[in-house]
Amino acid sequence: MDWIRSLRSQDTTHSRFLVVLSLTVLVLLITIFLPPVADSQLAEGAAIAIVILGLSWLIGWSGQISLGNSGFMAVGAYAASIWAQHHATTPLVFTFFLAIVMGSLSGLIIAIPSTRLKGPYLAGMTLAFSAAISPIAQNFTSVTGGENGQFLNELATPKWFLHLFHGQNAAINANAQWSCDIAIVVAGVAFFFMANLFHSRTGRAMRLIRDNDVAAELVGINLTLTRSVAFMIAAGFAGLGGALYTILNATVNPSTFPLTLSITLLTLMVLGGIGTLSGAVIGGIIYSFSSNLVDHINALTGVNPDSNLGANMQGIIFGALLILTMLFAPRGIAGLWGPLRRLKKPHRRLVTNQEVK
Amino acid sequence: MHNVFAGLAQGLLYSLLALSLVIIWQSTHVLNFAQGAMAMFATYVGMTEIEHGVNYWWCVIISVTVGVLFGGLAERVLIRPLYGKPEINAIVVMVGFLGLIEAFVAGIWTGVTRNIPPPFSQIFFQAHGQVILLSPFVIFQFVLAISIMLIAAAIFRFTKLGLQLRASALAPEVARLLGVRVSRMLTIGWMFSAGVGAVAAVIIASGNFGLYPTNMNGIFVAGFIAAVVGGLDSPLGAIAGGLLIGLTEQFILSYWSANFASLGGIIILVLALMIRPQGIFTKNVERRV
Repeated sequence: MDWIRSLRSQDTTHSRFLVVLSLTVLVLLITIFLPPVADSQLAEGAAIAIVILGLSWLIGWSGQISLGNSGFMAVGAYAASIWAQHHATTPLVFTFFLAIVMGSLSGLIIAIPSTRLKGPYLAGMTLAFSAAISPIAQNFTSVTGGENGQFLNELATPKWFLHLFHGQNAAINANAQWSCDIAIVVAGVAFFFMANLFHSRTGRAMRLIRDNDVAAELVGINLTLTRSVAFMIAAGFAGLGGALYTILNATVNPSTFPLTLSITLLTLMVLGGIGTLSGAVIGGIIYSFSSNLVDHINALTGVNPDSNLGANMQGIIFGALLILTMLFAPRGIAGLWGPLRRLKKPHRRLVTNQEVK
Repeated sequence: MHNVFAGLAQGLLYSLLALSLVIIWQSTHVLNFAQGAMAMFATYVGMTEIEHGVNYWWCVIISVTVGVLFGGLAERVLIRPLYGKPEINAIVVMVGFLGLIEAFVAGIWTGVTRNIPPPFSQIFFQAHGQVILLSPFVIFQFVLAISIMLIAAAIFRFTKLGLQLRASALAPEVARLLGVRVSRMLTIGWMFSAGVGAVAAVIIASGNFGLYPTNMNGIFVAGFIAAVVGGLDSPLGAIAGGLLIGLTEQFILSYWSANFASLGGIIILVLALMIRPQGIFTKNVERRV
């Protein structure tokens, strides 16, 4: 880990690019050795990690809370899906771009009334938005496919990639692997963008607003504008994550992005660590393998997984985890690193720009 | 006319929930996102006793008692450690509590909708062959909701407990100096609020809605909007806001489409926040935006 940190302390775009690139390649290599099921779980986790990253940025850096991220995901997902209904052979990059734009626009619509609000008002406003998305999707049947939703073509695996696989179920393995790799690459790009954003002028302005908005205004930061931009970025990330999620599953319907997903996202974000890149990665990984985790806990406690209690175990565990983390370790898993590191070598730790508040 | 009655009846339920949110907000400055879910849990504990042959009214009493105790417990265990921390922490904890309760209830009682037999008939009165827009159940709904509001107002205005509650909300330090047990008042505020929420949940479960783990989500959103539109500091504003939203939804429902009814509240919210973000009825205009 030390070489990563030494790169990070140089704090340049170049070094960040190298870190993200090497981590992405590392994960891509790992996916080769994973079974297809784990690959598709990891792919969904990557999509969720992108959304968590946006949420983490919004809550941790700009100090605004959003319970509407499942709504923004739905916007991105429907944008991708509706586009795909009419233009089947669009390059993926364009679809993702469209999802980001639509997500950001919906974020802007929410941001205009919301940036005047704080804390609970904002949370309620975004909650109302994500509650409203599903009836809207149900109603405009001609556009959204109504209750049944829409179906997309599965991701086409290129020929050369198929040739790499042999033996039994070669096609299935290749497809799972290809989807997963695409998801990882998209996530890598998103993380690179966010890593730069954290250290950009906007990022610093954001933190100042969060900590002291009067001071921020005094040094000439436009509060409304900066807050709206933060909201749009978070919504854009959610839109991208939603589109990726939908493309991986090749279907979307009004119940794909329920209100409870917002709670799950919040849990994963808090659990990983608010306002950190590594926290979003941890959150994504936990999401990927949460079903395995829940199965394991069911087996440990002797609860029948087919019973009612077993089926709802995930909600119970996530809710309890969210409460416990917030009460006892509000900085999450990523936040546990800091104190440990400081215990090891206190004298060599320099105070960097970012830590001066 | 029919729309007015139906809208007011629905609006009163929103008002009750908004009122319970305002009570909590006033005492502890926490917006309780689990308010609906806590009330739903209390209703499950109480009203499922009907299936064991317990009288309806006893079930109501059990529900409200459970709600009150649950509210006190939530304040002591979940909210107390968070005083003085950023307000996002309390929001996150209550959102987690919401998820926990809903999953727990679905795990224990299944997600299937239960119909609680209403204590009064839901068939509309008829006179001279014409339907008069009221049923015994709607009257019961009106009477119960309004009496709860009157009781709440009376407690706050005329009793010593109410005075202490108001004092510890307004100026906790001064109240403490004058011998008010502020921390106890905060717990009582939560218990009180959870009780009001439980009454709303009981009425909703007995009506057309039925009882299922997420049945309070829509009501909570509407109640929250009502509280914000009216101003989180004003009980009267919360009640007026609830009625306004109930009426709006009912008119959208009958003149446009049932599917858009739930959007009515959101439109009101956006308009209200743009015009007067501190709430229509609130006195405290000194809020920096």
